[in-house]
Amino acid sequence: MGDEGKLNVVIVGGGTAGWMAAAALVKLLPTRSSVTLVESEAIGIVGVGEATLPHIRGFNERLGINEAKFMAATRATFKLGIEFRDWARKGDSYIHPFGAFGRGQGEVDFHHYWSRLNEAGAPVSPIGEYSMAVTMAYANRFALPDPDPTKIESTFNYAYQFDATLFAPFLRGVAEGLGAKRIEGRIIDVELDGESGNVAAIRLENGERVDGDLFIDCSGFVSLIIGRALNEPFEDWSKWLPCDRAVAMPCRTETALTPYTSASAMDAGWRWRIPLQHRTGNGYVYSSSFISDDDARSAIIAAVEGEPIAEPRVLKFTAGRRTRSWVRNCVSVGLASGFLEPLESTSIYLIQAAISALVELFPEKKISPLDRDEFNRLIDLEYDRIRDFLILHYHATERSDTPFWDYVRTMSVPDTLQEKIDLFRRRGRIVKYREGVFLDASWVAVYTGQRIMPEGHDYRADLPPVDALVAGAEKLRAEIAAKAARMPDHRAHIESYCPMAVAA
Amino acid sequence: MKSVVVAGGGIVAWSAAAALKRKLPMLDVAVVSFEPAADALADRIINTLPSIVEFHADLGLSDEDTIIRAQSGIRLGTRFSGWADGSADYVHAYGSYGAALGGIPFHQLWLREGHRSAYDCYSLSAELGRSDRFASTGPKDAQIGYGLRLNIDRYGDLMRAYALHLGATERAGEVVNVELLDNGFVEALRLADGTRVEADLFVDCTGPAARIRSRVDDSFEAWSKWLLCDRVSINEDHEGALLDDVRATPNGWSSTCAAAYAGDELGLAIRQGRLSEPWIRNCVAIGDSAVSVEPLEWTNLHLAHSQIDRLVSMMPGKDCAPVELAEYNRQCNAEADRVRDFICMHYVTARLSEPFWKDAASVELPPSLKHSLSLFAERGRLPYYEEETFTRDSWLAVLFGQGFMPRRADPLAYALPAEEIENTLRTTRGSIASFAAAQPSYREFIAQMGQRTRS
Repeated sequence: MGDEGKLNVVIVGGGTAGWMAAAALVKLLPTRSSVTLVESEAIGIVGVGEATLPHIRGFNERLGINEAKFMAATRATFKLGIEFRDWARKGDSYIHPFGAFGRGQGEVDFHHYWSRLNEAGAPVSPIGEYSMAVTMAYANRFALPDPDPTKIESTFNYAYQFDATLFAPFLRGVAEGLGAKRIEGRIIDVELDGESGNVAAIRLENGERVDGDLFIDCSGFVSLIIGRALNEPFEDWSKWLPCDRAVAMPCRTETALTPYTSASAMDAGWRWRIPLQHRTGNGYVYSSSFISDDDARSAIIAAVEGEPIAEPRVLKFTAGRRTRSWVRNCVSVGLASGFLEPLESTSIYLIQAAISALVELFPEKKISPLDRDEFNRLIDLEYDRIRDFLILHYHATERSDTPFWDYVRTMSVPDTLQEKIDLFRRRGRIVKYREGVFLDASWVAVYTGQRIMPEGHDYRADLPPVDALVAGAEKLRAEIAAKAARMPDHRAHIESYCPMAVAA
Repeated sequence: MKSVVVAGGGIVAWSAAAALKRKLPMLDVAVVSFEPAADALADRIINTLPSIVEFHADLGLSDEDTIIRAQSGIRLGTRFSGWADGSADYVHAYGSYGAALGGIPFHQLWLREGHRSAYDCYSLSAELGRSDRFASTGPKDAQIGYGLRLNIDRYGDLMRAYALHLGATERAGEVVNVELLDNGFVEALRLADGTRVEADLFVDCTGPAARIRSRVDDSFEAWSKWLLCDRVSINEDHEGALLDDVRATPNGWSSTCAAAYAGDELGLAIRQGRLSEPWIRNCVAIGDSAVSVEPLEWTNLHLAHSQIDRLVSMMPGKDCAPVELAEYNRQCNAEADRVRDFICMHYVTARLSEPFWKDAASVELPPSLKHSLSLFAERGRLPYYEEETFTRDSWLAVLFGQGFMPRRADPLAYALPAEEIENTLRTTRGSIASFAAAQPSYREFIAQMGQRTRS
């Protein structure tokens, strides 16, 4: 049982991915890794990943991060889900909540009863009114979930909306406190070992050479090591996810501080709105095949609600991923490994998934191909499942009012997705996987929100009489509404729990 | 979907009928009953897994019904003897082994410590079984799992009575013909007395012959290149202790209630494997008609129960749309294939010198098992598979028990000080031993439950 000493780990790039990786390694594998992170202050970070998924709470907990301190430092707000506007039809809106519909208990999922009432023409509200998270979100209320699983206030989960440019420095403090080393410098060359093809070292502009056993490529879109030096191919998914640009522009917050992110459909893509404590992030994700940069810029300027606090900034990307995320002795994390548009806030989740897999499969000096293959298998699974979920949002639309929407509505989609859609349409069933980031309630929210209505329901939902179901549903709806109404206002909760420091 | 015919007269058929009527009372459920086939293992093997207790609870049956009224025994696991030359016996017990510490799985702590005590010292169920004591629940962090040892006749009577009570009907008689429509759907069964039984859906619980399903399609995936046993013998004698002994024999294995072996003319012939698609059109195979597997880890009735649960929760419309059946088949096949892997794992990690054992250990592994074992061999990590029957604890119990050790412990386990790990292991062993010692004997437990039931 070999205890063979530490690996020298060199992390290339100090954005969110780099510092998350550094903090996790020094915290969780202190006897196995010594961590050096190389970053250049001259290079900005992309930092659009401002909205997160609930999984990040587990990451922070494992690192021993205090929630209130973290939220204050990153000017964070709570997030109960994502609101989608105008996706299936103009004028539509729904929330994909982090939480269940109904009580989330019982052997038949709530949406089967809901479908049955709809089919029977019985009085029934939109499905979101039977979700604690959705109801709280629309009411701009927030309280932490109740630990008692029998209570309706336990049926939701939450994530954060935060300033990504502040998250990396926050984690830097954690990582450096636990012994991570930081080197300032711009990387000009990646040196490969002639014999093995492994990465031997990186060279900095000032002539310094940093060698290591394991390199973690967190260099962002430039993909310095895995892309440029190791030439790992990129699988291009733009035929399904044609958006390839984003124009971002933060503004002051003028309206209520919503505990949710908004994604509003636009003529050639969609627009995000992410409320933070001190500002609101906005951006238009679009396809350059369907709209010019100038028109997109004008559209975002016209759409933002408050006074802009920065000039619009354009980012370019391609949806897809490296064929392998771990090649030789280089593990890519974050944008260096692939990109999926932030429609479902998966950027930081994907970083976290890669870090968790790396921690679980942390290699020895001589890297086992088994560990590497398993890492790549796990990451592919994550990417592929998220890909299908994202495509669903575009494809399940009735819109044909612009060429962009016409394209996504009529494009062919991966078979894996078509089967999922057919199965739901048939009888409201969700393809059953326990692994993967988005579970049943997420799929139900998006299917129904995108107007894919099941043609049938689970037979067991036929057991209660319609009247009893109508009464039960109404009681549930009223209970949720009453409980939400008693919760604190979102902003008030933040001000008492985790207010940001007043700007100096 | 309005009417269902279940064909078969054993435990599987009556369990299917009871579950369908209990969960989907709007369906007409008729059982065409006849004597179960001799090679229908799910109908005849008395040992079952802990999932049976959940199956009962779901149906509204209690331990009192099944243990006292139907005279079932309780079983906490299996003791494997002689599966590796030079290795001690080991127990594959149900329930948990140790508890994670600081996010690090228990078995990694055990590996890091140098596995000085046998892995089954950390299972409360194993300890109870060895000391012939029983409790149905353990303290925090030590979960007990138990299955039942059925009295086949009594249990069959109970399930039949319960199904009839719930409104299933019975038509006794042999099936002599299966009438198909032009589109390949089953229209009716013709019985020996000339009567004709129609239904929307036909559930075939007739055993490996799949007397109805085989008329629709019989594409079969044989497992014979991985599982070499092709004979089984069964003993329905229901006496037994909390732990069953399964002993390796020169050409297979044997226990008090069943044995499996290869190349012998005695015993019942079995063909291990599964239907390519258990559900086609309006005919679904459940139990041995869908999957035939040696009873080594007592999965036969478990698989049937799991298929029944799936049938109930995925009941399609009368037209049995392929999109709905495909998801059912995907889940059933994934489940069956992982049971195959788990059983195959016993043979490939056994270390015995007889020709049978050498052959059994040197089969070319199914890819999913190869994946599991190669990752495990590296650092004791087991990949997650969908529809897995056996928990990670079960996989580990057998792998460690057979002496199949990973090359190293997970680096995560080195984040904790060695003394802390040693203390945790010592405390775990101590609290398991003292909890077990305070429990009633198995006999006392049954007697107390019997008194409660009668009073």
